[in-house]
Amino acid sequence: MRSVFIKDMAYRKARIVLTVISIAVLVLLILLMGGTMNGMRKKARAYVQSVEQQAGTGTVWLSSEGSGSSFAGFSLINSEYLEVLRRLEGVDREIPLSPLIFALARPVIKGQEKKAIVVAYRQDKLGGPSERDLESTGDPSSPFYPVTGNVFRSSKYEDYRPTDIPPPEVVADEWLGLEIGETLELSGKELRVVGKTRNRVFVLDEPMIFMDIRTAQSTILDNIIYVNTVLVKVAEGYSAVQLANDIKQNSPVAVDAHTGDQIVKIILANYVDEPMKIVQFLRVLLWFAAVLIIVMITYVTTMEKSREIGVLKAIGASNKYVVYLILKQVVTMTSTGVVLGVILAFLATWFSPIIIIVSVSEAILVAIITIVICSYGGYVAANRAAAVDPMIAFRGR
Amino acid sequence: MNGLVESRNLTKQFGEGHEAVVAVNDVNMSINQGELLVIMGESGSGKTTLISILGCILQPTSGSLIIDGSEVDYESQDLSEIRRKKVGFVFQLFNLIPYLTALENVMVAMDIGGIKGPEAEEKARELLTQVGLPDRLNHRPSQLSGGEQQRVSFARALANDPLIVFADEPTANLDSRNSASIMELIQSLCRERNIAFAVVTHDAHLRENADRIIEMEDGRVLDA
Repeated sequence: MRSVFIKDMAYRKARIVLTVISIAVLVLLILLMGGTMNGMRKKARAYVQSVEQQAGTGTVWLSSEGSGSSFAGFSLINSEYLEVLRRLEGVDREIPLSPLIFALARPVIKGQEKKAIVVAYRQDKLGGPSERDLESTGDPSSPFYPVTGNVFRSSKYEDYRPTDIPPPEVVADEWLGLEIGETLELSGKELRVVGKTRNRVFVLDEPMIFMDIRTAQSTILDNIIYVNTVLVKVAEGYSAVQLANDIKQNSPVAVDAHTGDQIVKIILANYVDEPMKIVQFLRVLLWFAAVLIIVMITYVTTMEKSREIGVLKAIGASNKYVVYLILKQVVTMTSTGVVLGVILAFLATWFSPIIIIVSVSEAILVAIITIVICSYGGYVAANRAAAVDPMIAFRGR
Repeated sequence: MNGLVESRNLTKQFGEGHEAVVAVNDVNMSINQGELLVIMGESGSGKTTLISILGCILQPTSGSLIIDGSEVDYESQDLSEIRRKKVGFVFQLFNLIPYLTALENVMVAMDIGGIKGPEAEEKARELLTQVGLPDRLNHRPSQLSGGEQQRVSFARALANDPLIVFADEPTANLDSRNSASIMELIQSLCRERNIAFAVVTHDAHLRENADRIIEMEDGRVLDA
């Protein structure tokens, strides 16, 4: 009779519903934790990938020697000392070197201090949005598209004089909540928003503020010489890895040189994988919690119905029959909870204010692991239950 | 002795040393096909333990048991298979599954015995009709009287066409009217189906109609 286990579940529906909900919540949390990490990984890659797309032929990122890149440590570098590298074989002739500042800042916006990433670059070089990215006239396939409004005006970078005031203009991401024409304050200086980007955020949802190199130097670095990164565009047909090695050997000042792929790995290691170890550990703990719930509920439920099990055994049920009966309930409860949890996780990604990416393959993997480990837990509990002495049918206890 | 169920020097001891209790002590007896055997004795005399051993629920400490011509091998044989195929049980506390209807309670036993689907349902209907419950098929135990629940228990015990049914004080929780009707049911099932019944009871009516009565005292059978 196939429906015995379903009728038993219906008889104990309150407990079954609570168990299913518990499993669903645990699966939801496991997937959301993973989804949040996936979102962080995507955001960690996004900026470097846009710059790589801008370059088209690959990039090498230079920083102070020993810094491990400006994404990992403290880097200050004078781009003028590196000008000699433009003649190195493998360096693109049109846009050989691009000075860049990529730094965490705390702008004051509408009286409140917020976290943001300042990305300062030269508009005629690599590093941030250009005219091509403007929503009104630009190309939707360009790397920093879309930018509404305008891109900031450029400074006279090459022949800078103290009298040349850097343009107090920025392109801010819409996550900062500023409208075009509004201002933000950075190191006591007011900067006007002339354009807005969409979803240009770093790993922990820090919105990006794009500005001219000189503007960043005069606000957050307080100097006119240094940047923290110099981007080298790789010439067509050359390898970024080879060029990075060549630069390290031929640079007039000692530098760290990383390819775009290496920079992505550095960002992932420093901003996602290392800090998120505790989250991974919590995910494993949640799986343990799921198993414990199933084992405890199965054990308590089967102990409650030990007389029924004893009667079944007394009238001829084998241990295998009893285990199979209980296991069907465990698998049904777990599977229902897992499916519910997966559905809730996908719904949560739509309504979440932060970027959460739950992939179908990860959801399937989490579902399979949860069902397998919970079923195993249920199997252990079911075997304990199957050890019930059929004499209980006579004694009633 | 050459019966359907035969015991040779069956002994069952619980515990060891000073705390040892010999519940069944050197019992030799047999039960024949179609026989209605009544087992009597004081509380604690070993009646329930004896039918538990004869029905292959309990393993004896020593001695041997022969069912349907084959000696039970406690080391290698699956006792649940013997219970499934050759033995039926009726308990004092009815022990029906509360969330199943009368029909389903009988069908569960058939499911265990390997009879499934429409065949099981048809047979369960026949058995419940035979025990006098043709109009209570879809009632749950909580909707049935004690006597009706015990009738369902008998139908369940007969589900897999056993050679013998062991009943442990089947009327202990019933009033006198229901007790009498259950005892009549046992007699009629025994005669009509030619099944052996071993019934632990104090019921005078059944005692009068039994083929044989055995008395137990301190684990021993006084008169087999």
